[in-house]
Amino acid sequence: MSNPSLSGAGAAQAAPARPAQRSFKRRSKRLKAALPYLLVAPAVIYLLMITLYPGIYAIIQSFHEVRFGPWRAVGFANYQKLFVDYQFWGALWNTFLIGSISLVLQCVIALALAFHAYRDPWVKGWRILFLVPMLFMPSAVAFIYKLIFLDARIFSDILIRIGLIDGNLAIQSSTWMSRALLILADVWQWTPFLFIIFVAALQGQDEEVEEAARLDGASWSAIFFNISLPMMKPVIAVALILRAIDITTMFTNVFIVTKGGPAFGTETISHFIYRTGFKFFNFGYASAASVIMLIITIVIAQLVVKRAFVSARS
Amino acid sequence: MAEKRKKSRSENLFLRYLILGAWALFCVAPVLWFLSIGLRPRTEIITPTPVYFPSFSLDAWHMIWEDWPMAKYLRNSVGAIFGSVIIDLVLAIPAAYSLSRFEYRGREDIGFYILSTRMMAPAIVAVPIFFLFRTLGLLDTIWALMLIYAAINLSFVTWIIRSYMLDIPKELEDAAKTDGAGELRILWEIIVPAILPGIITASVIAMIFAINEFLFTLLIASTPDAYTMSVALANFTGGSDGIIYNAIALVAFIAFLPVFVVVVAIQKHLSRGLTMGAVKG
Repeated sequence: MSNPSLSGAGAAQAAPARPAQRSFKRRSKRLKAALPYLLVAPAVIYLLMITLYPGIYAIIQSFHEVRFGPWRAVGFANYQKLFVDYQFWGALWNTFLIGSISLVLQCVIALALAFHAYRDPWVKGWRILFLVPMLFMPSAVAFIYKLIFLDARIFSDILIRIGLIDGNLAIQSSTWMSRALLILADVWQWTPFLFIIFVAALQGQDEEVEEAARLDGASWSAIFFNISLPMMKPVIAVALILRAIDITTMFTNVFIVTKGGPAFGTETISHFIYRTGFKFFNFGYASAASVIMLIITIVIAQLVVKRAFVSARS
Repeated sequence: MAEKRKKSRSENLFLRYLILGAWALFCVAPVLWFLSIGLRPRTEIITPTPVYFPSFSLDAWHMIWEDWPMAKYLRNSVGAIFGSVIIDLVLAIPAAYSLSRFEYRGREDIGFYILSTRMMAPAIVAVPIFFLFRTLGLLDTIWALMLIYAAINLSFVTWIIRSYMLDIPKELEDAAKTDGAGELRILWEIIVPAILPGIITASVIAMIFAINEFLFTLLIASTPDAYTMSVALANFTGGSDGIIYNAIALVAFIAFLPVFVVVVAIQKHLSRGLTMGAVKG
């Protein structure tokens, strides 16, 4: 780093620096200071275009009534309407409810599976098997679940054959069963995401510590809860955050399987914004909902995500 | 004592295989059943009582290639996905190099900003992006899809590559510097070859997310000119025919197979990629 002749081998050979050369050197010094910014700039500009620009656009649009004609300024009317819109609050609540139940289930199942798999000689085989659901397109998964539970009623049929129920389950008319269906589809598809990460973390732990505890007579489960789990905390945090981000944006399954019903009981916030904007063409209102989501996202990002990623790296 | 330990160990093994086996069955059974849907005639899909032993039929296979522009959907998907991965790599490699190899003011904030774009829900930016592409005249083109997939994936492609770059010993670079090599040449000739596994991992994961993308594609594509596999699926519904499940199932498997092969090939790097480099597998 101490050698300033970064501009190339040619500059290093020219020993007595002439004025022209010196100005070239100064410029190259300035260039050198700017280089890291120049390297990162294209990516940042690109991302600003899809986050900052839409953010500002959404904020401006949220103060207007926008349907098909010209925009009409309406002040805070969209927000006022939003704050008393039970469908909006319902969508926020559903997103939170479905998301948190799903996330907890995925985390517990993935930990249990990882605990049993990471010392297994066939861990690679298990990993490939468990990965399968994750590699299907979400729209395909949505249709799998729609068919099994709603259209072809395989699930009901199996329960009837076992003798647990008498008639077909009316899943579509039950809010809780519809929610459970969305949760089940998400758990099925995305538990492997956490499983893969947890197995890697368990395999990466210090074997000597494990072995020492083992020789002291500690059981595998004691080792897991007292040594492995605390060690995995930062990893679990990062993995859960990444999952949580995707769960809160849940759209495909809602759009295909439940359409938000019955009675908006499974409508998530993404589906609410989609429906308001692109089905009722009430873009100003949809933008107001987007802005509120954006604020929530930024707050959570600053509070939780930054800390989790910093601690996972150190 | 020794015997007791041995016994509890074999019980553990039984429990272990019971749990892992049950989950494996839960993972695979719906998939196999869906495959059977793809290979049966339409009349045996939605019936008063489910048909568990269907007759074999390639109806759906002929249908997706002959009645639908499936080849076009496939081409759209492949074009949009590869285009987006190339855009990502061109932007992410220099950015990751800057974030991992230089000390400068604002570096941490820039890095976190890039990471935080991953948290943007598609629905938040959907309305403005829709108007943006309409103004640019890009609605219903694969160019718009390419740009949007690249944007969605750029954050973690950058972070994955950055994580791999951090692992390269500084000495390697210093040796090249004393030889008089410039920064960009070091990046291209030393760092990029050394982190090739990271670049491949990032590309594969970007590819998966791009194939999966649904909401933006749904908004941007309105005719088969820009339909991808993911949204084409939703297109097999509606009309008097109802949902054409056997065609959907086959399309799902057509999209699944290449992804599965590639992911098995990069298994070792997967955990690291999925956590944007926070976990080293």
